[in-house]
Amino acid sequence: MSDFSVIGKPIAMIDAAGKTTGAGKYADDFSLPGMLVGKILHSPYPHARIVSIDTSRAKAVDGVVAVVTGADAPNPYGILPVGHDETALAVEKVRYVGDHVACVAAVTEEIAERAIELIDIEYEPLPAYFDPVESMKAETDLIHENRPHNVEKDYHHVFGDLDKGFADADYVAEGRYIANEVTHAAMEPHCTLANFELDPYTGTLGRLTVWSSTQVPYYLQHKLSLVLEMPMSQIRVIKPLVGGGFGGKSEIIPLEIIAAVTARAAKAPVKITYTREEVFWAHRGRPRTIIDLKTGVKNDGRITAVACKVIQDGGAYCSYGVVTILYSGALLGALYDIPHIRYDGYRVLTNKPACGAMRGHGTVNVRFAFESQMDEISATLKLDPAEVRRVNLLKPPTVTVNGLRVLSYGLPECIDQVVTRSGWKERRGKLPKGRGLGIACSHYVSGAANSIIRSDMPHSTVNIKIDRDGGVVVYTGASEIGQGSDTMTAQVVAEVLGCELARVRVIAADTDLTPIDLGSYSSRVTFMAGNAALRAAEDVKKNIVSAAAKRMNCAPEEVIMRNDHVYKRGVVAGTDDTSAAEILEEKDAARGHVDGQILRGSVLQTRKEESPKEHMSFEEAVVSAIDFHGALTGTGSYAPPMAARGGKHKGGGVGPSPAYSYSAQVADVSVDEETGEVTVHKIWAAHDCGRALNPVAVEGQVIGSVWMGLGQALEEEMIWKDGLLMNPGLLEYRSPSSAESPDIECIIVESIDPEGPFGAKEAGEGSLAATIPAISNAIYDAVGVRLRESPFTPERVLSALRAKQGMKRIEMTESVDPTAPLTFREHGGSLWFRGKGPARHPLDPARQGAQAGSVVGGKQ
Amino acid sequence: MSLPSFQLLRPKTLDEAVALMAKHGGEVKIVAGGTDLLPSMKQKLFTPPYVLDLGGVRELRGIRNLPGDGIEIGALTTLSTVEHSALVRKDYPVLYQAVKTVASPVLRNMGTIGGNVCLDTRCLWYNQSLLWRKSCGFCLKKDGDLCHVAPGGKFCWAAFSGDTPPALLCLGAELEIAGPNGLRCTPLSEFYVNDGMVRLHLAANEIVTRVFLPEASAGWRGSYQKLRVRGSIDYPLAGVAVALKMKSGRVENARVAITALNPAPFLVKDADAHLVGAVPSEEIAERIGELAARTAKPLTTSALTPEYRREMVRVFAKRAVMAAAN
Repeated sequence: MSDFSVIGKPIAMIDAAGKTTGAGKYADDFSLPGMLVGKILHSPYPHARIVSIDTSRAKAVDGVVAVVTGADAPNPYGILPVGHDETALAVEKVRYVGDHVACVAAVTEEIAERAIELIDIEYEPLPAYFDPVESMKAETDLIHENRPHNVEKDYHHVFGDLDKGFADADYVAEGRYIANEVTHAAMEPHCTLANFELDPYTGTLGRLTVWSSTQVPYYLQHKLSLVLEMPMSQIRVIKPLVGGGFGGKSEIIPLEIIAAVTARAAKAPVKITYTREEVFWAHRGRPRTIIDLKTGVKNDGRITAVACKVIQDGGAYCSYGVVTILYSGALLGALYDIPHIRYDGYRVLTNKPACGAMRGHGTVNVRFAFESQMDEISATLKLDPAEVRRVNLLKPPTVTVNGLRVLSYGLPECIDQVVTRSGWKERRGKLPKGRGLGIACSHYVSGAANSIIRSDMPHSTVNIKIDRDGGVVVYTGASEIGQGSDTMTAQVVAEVLGCELARVRVIAADTDLTPIDLGSYSSRVTFMAGNAALRAAEDVKKNIVSAAAKRMNCAPEEVIMRNDHVYKRGVVAGTDDTSAAEILEEKDAARGHVDGQILRGSVLQTRKEESPKEHMSFEEAVVSAIDFHGALTGTGSYAPPMAARGGKHKGGGVGPSPAYSYSAQVADVSVDEETGEVTVHKIWAAHDCGRALNPVAVEGQVIGSVWMGLGQALEEEMIWKDGLLMNPGLLEYRSPSSAESPDIECIIVESIDPEGPFGAKEAGEGSLAATIPAISNAIYDAVGVRLRESPFTPERVLSALRAKQGMKRIEMTESVDPTAPLTFREHGGSLWFRGKGPARHPLDPARQGAQAGSVVGGKQ
Repeated sequence: MSLPSFQLLRPKTLDEAVALMAKHGGEVKIVAGGTDLLPSMKQKLFTPPYVLDLGGVRELRGIRNLPGDGIEIGALTTLSTVEHSALVRKDYPVLYQAVKTVASPVLRNMGTIGGNVCLDTRCLWYNQSLLWRKSCGFCLKKDGDLCHVAPGGKFCWAAFSGDTPPALLCLGAELEIAGPNGLRCTPLSEFYVNDGMVRLHLAANEIVTRVFLPEASAGWRGSYQKLRVRGSIDYPLAGVAVALKMKSGRVENARVAITALNPAPFLVKDADAHLVGAVPSEEIAERIGELAARTAKPLTTSALTPEYRREMVRVFAKRAVMAAAN
């Protein structure tokens, strides 16, 4: 048993009460006196030049205070330094249906909505690109002029000797896999409230304060500074409660800057909350991905080489795209031992909303392909798929062929656990017709070892202040977005200081108060902010210990801080430190001594000092330390070690992490062979999170990941028709409901990472990727059809079943069979919209056959 | 999205409601549970000057037993109330089965049987925001002059997507409708128009007030099978209701109806000819499936391909017959 008081215990989130009672405040719950409502006008065209904008009619509406357009904030920005290709509002061009064009600030939402309809814009439609392969052929009318052939970025990596690898293989599998586009669908729509201080005499604009639903307050502060041309010190970003991010709030979303720009123009606070449709347009989700995968294996399943080509349909802006396409290749490594790897990745621009980071960033779709192909190989070579994974395990500590350092590695135990618990050996192959089991594995980084903006600054810093009242205040820039980062921080600090969790108050993500932290993305918070919190707590603890040692006449090493007591080692003879604290607590209770007020603590102390001290309360120790040292503060920071920062090759900065989490899953599904409907009965999910700092939070994250993977596997898909999103709402974009959510058995595996805080690694993302292939592999086990395109909707499953039975083919979905012609559909997914008739709009380029330069525009 | 401005009318009695409808006629939309109308108003599909809230008309609430004549369900009765009525569950099981599949429990607490019967037809090109519809050039059903689903035609294919009407059709339900000239009754089977825009035989100044289920169909066994992607919340992508009057193992009378496949819910013609007098079997059930599939004209108005949905009508009708029989 581990000897901890707070760590490793299932603890309710410290912000749970506010969230569950409704008292908690999210961005949209804030308002300020004189606040205006902002409404954004979006482009109805997928690709068009803006010939003119006339806002005069909108400005004339009673109740409208300001109307802003691209000209009011023309500075480009983007989350990546290589991708500064966005402006808050369109300048010259719109690039997708839903692109942001203008914003009205008015006294009510209704007036603002009416006013945006009165903004007159003349557009000149341009040929638009909806399919990545078609888009790559473009010579003219490029989406961004500096991106030839609409390719945002392509990478071509070779590690090892590929020819040798394939020559060594006894069997080579090849296949094309397609994962259609999905989005985060976080519960809380994005919201930003922006307010400038006004000089009361001159009306000059002063400091800017922004309350925003963001995962990255520091990056937001940075980009606001860039666009508004204000020093960062003049901008304060506050992150209130956030109702889920999943990556959709891990970069700067247009409304965050638009709110500030509009507030500047209106000289009044402006709040903008996206409608659900606008959230879909803001998107930044997982791109539709086409994966051509080739794996060579020995007869026992050992992998000799992997060649992988990935095309991502990235949408109209770079966003995190360069990182996404790099993760797709880099994380081919670090799960299994692969001696030779070739990776060709293409991130392509199209006239659709920008894709970005989404839970399991870059790894999920490739993992679906990889784990599916491993299952195909197992079937062909008549091997047990679980065994095939076992023969390919890494032998850590090791550095993979593509430069990823792996220390802790709980994958073998994860596989053992799910194989045992699911009855894999006993049940597989003996299930009734239409029912089957499938296995798959996945992994993810515990924070990127290299920051987005290259610098030598720490990735996380945490400050702690303790006052005479014994209250511990922790200041961290890490963003609580529902994943439990505040609770984790409090736990780490309470454990180190040996105080009760209730003493710890976490002030997080307020750029005026909290030290810089890169934010909540790439599963970095527990590892990095956790380590920083640990170091900060140790820093402040030093001072408490030295003061206590003086009072107790002992060496600092003899001072134990635990369970709100500070005492000399061995103070209760013959007992360990765990029970010593308990005995002292009883003694204190018998003495009738009540820990309490700040000043009284001091008085009590002087009186008690007559006799030599052997133990004191946490508060007494704090008071002694403050009396002795003056202020009681501590600070700690974390930067990943150089050894974990990866190879030197181009693009080698993405993928390396100080530690990787591991997951293995078994899915138990049945397939209705008449309807193609798939029912998932149960998923066993084992996750190696290093150490579970808070097991109930880990389980929540694993179950959430599995559930989100289930959505992508079976139901979720963004459907496009000529750049128009056909399902921009939660009714038609179908995330699973509780009714079809399976039983999920979460098994926590603790590999105790040597560098993680108390051995912890990430828990929030790594499990997602295994769920999709576990389900597709189970479908194969159940009915013998291989689904190479996600989601596995009933129509796809049924048409695969019919094809297998040699029945008359129903034109339900296009095949992704590699022998089929290489046509990519203009939109992802099933053929809901094979409308052959008139295209959408009289002014639509597709309908007009418009050529570049022919002005077909008109007033909206 | 905000609701467009309107004047709210809140009658306390049916007479008041009828008088207000007579006065404001085509300028008023009726709201009961609001689950269908309010999202559409936010999307600016409707911007009526007046909204008449029937909520205060208490006489239209509740289920009444009419001994010897069947039962009467007030139009304002919530779907939850219908779902939890022992009377409905015992005597009209097909309605019980259908009503419990509507949307989700929360929505059933708000939505009413009258609203479900009068549900607006749905289409992916129609149930969208103003900007969305603007960017596709609008459609026949609202603000536009072309249909994206069946191009070239001047006919709206938006699908009727209520779950309870096929069940009610199987039970031979009648509607009571109040208008300026008093009350009228109409069989439900004559209430719908197979045109996504016209939808209903209901004048602009009329209100659906009650649903009657005849004594003659009490005790018929029934089943409702609904195609949807999720286990909850979703509208039907296809729905089949089957009601069978059974006597010593043989079918004495039968009706089959489908929904969410055409602009109106339909009784499947000649289904009874195959069923009456027979002992239900897989073979007969498959024949009913064929008939139902022939009645269905699914188009690309909702998720899943029309081809798949037509296939599923066949399967679901077969399953519904077998489930109702056993």
